[in-house]
Amino acid sequence: MEVKKILPPALILALFLASWGIGAKVYDMAFLLPGPWLVAQTFQSEFEIIMQGLRITFSAAFTGYVIAIVIGITVATVMSLSKILERSLYPYAILLQTVPVVAVAPLIVLWFGFEIKSIIIISVIIALFPIINNTLLGLKSTPKTLVELFDLHSGSKVTTFFKLRFPAAIPNIIAGMKISAGLSVIGAIVGEFIIGSGSEGGGLGVQIIYAQANLETALVMALILTATGLGFAFFIVVSSIGYHLLHKWHESEQ
Amino acid sequence: MIEISKVTKHFGEIQALEEVNLDIATGEFISIVGPSGCGKSTLLRIIADLVSTNGRVTKPESGAFVFQDSALLPWRTVQKNVELLMELEGVADRKEKAKQALAQVGLTGFEKSYPHQLSGGMKMRLSLARSIVLNPEYLLLDEPLSAVDELTREVLQEEIHEIWKKDKFTSILVTHNVAEAVYLSNRVIVMSPRPGRITHIVGIPFQERTQSIRSTPEFSSLVNDISGKLRAWK
Repeated sequence: MEVKKILPPALILALFLASWGIGAKVYDMAFLLPGPWLVAQTFQSEFEIIMQGLRITFSAAFTGYVIAIVIGITVATVMSLSKILERSLYPYAILLQTVPVVAVAPLIVLWFGFEIKSIIIISVIIALFPIINNTLLGLKSTPKTLVELFDLHSGSKVTTFFKLRFPAAIPNIIAGMKISAGLSVIGAIVGEFIIGSGSEGGGLGVQIIYAQANLETALVMALILTATGLGFAFFIVVSSIGYHLLHKWHESEQ
Repeated sequence: MIEISKVTKHFGEIQALEEVNLDIATGEFISIVGPSGCGKSTLLRIIADLVSTNGRVTKPESGAFVFQDSALLPWRTVQKNVELLMELEGVADRKEKAKQALAQVGLTGFEKSYPHQLSGGMKMRLSLARSIVLNPEYLLLDEPLSAVDELTREVLQEEIHEIWKKDKFTSILVTHNVAEAVYLSNRVIVMSPRPGRITHIVGIPFQERTQSIRSTPEFSSLVNDISGKLRAWK
């Protein structure tokens, strides 16, 4: 069973590494296309720099992610409680999604400086919308008969929210958090591209720019893989939280 | 006693109910049958106060509504589902009462299961247990057995009858199934197609309700009589 699950993606990975390796051999230009082996070696030799970048990017992305979750669930809750507030706020939530963050970043730098908090803000902006949207969807799609049941037995608005609407929305909230997991890392990297290192050393985004300027393509790739792994790790953590909360009762986790 | 007087209902241009008047004695079991869309469910929802009306409904303080789809909380165990309405109404000794109610509907041993692990019949039993545990003065049942198979249906009818015989709450059942209405009720209310109004009230004289009455000639003639009244509109 386990082998059956792991085997297909492992085969794809092997196939990918093999064609990458062959491609690198054929072109034989390591500064443009380093092979997987060289990237692995670079990962080892530049381990400290990569880990330092990872630590900084992790703290920015994680902080941004947590803030996005808290703000997203709060805003969606407020919108779900009042039709008027939903109508007034939702268009701006969409704008948050459609605004070109890279273009807004200079403004953020003007207001908040070349600091890690600017990076966090960019990460929040990018990660926020899927959480708002999915949470709102979940809070609004409580089965009608259950709402009626609570009404009949004098469930107050607050009770109905905590005992019915919120638990019923958890599958959607988890879905939103899964989408935002990767986005928060993307936001942090974009932020680092524009803002630079902040007052601390350079995060993965900054390291990528340095490495690219030095034509250290293998290091660029090692850093990209690390950033990808970071987003993936966020995703795995949220997925397992979702599994623990849902597997006993929700179809999506059975 | 439940009194329904001058109850009408319009949904926009459509008239769903045309002046319904009906008195139901305390402890009586009545069923409402009628063609699809005749407004019988709407009438039940008006009695429950889930739908507004310009008529008047007076009823006892405490009641419960059994929904067609059993309306369980999927994230709660069987035990926690039985406790739900008691929680909302602030009833004490919930654990003990839940235990009794589960025993009454034959769900002892399933306390830790989740609704999706139960069959349709068991879900309906759970839904019943959750309501009767409140010791309601009246119970409104909206086609509770329409989603279970024929065999389970007859068993559940018997169980509903047993519970009613013991607790004697006033009951109003909306159903498509005439035999079910005859088996369970003191009176069967027949409604016309939209706009729904009461056209016949058929008294059911049986004293004992056992499975064997289903095969008596009186039972079949009552079922045929009411079915004939329903067919007359088609």
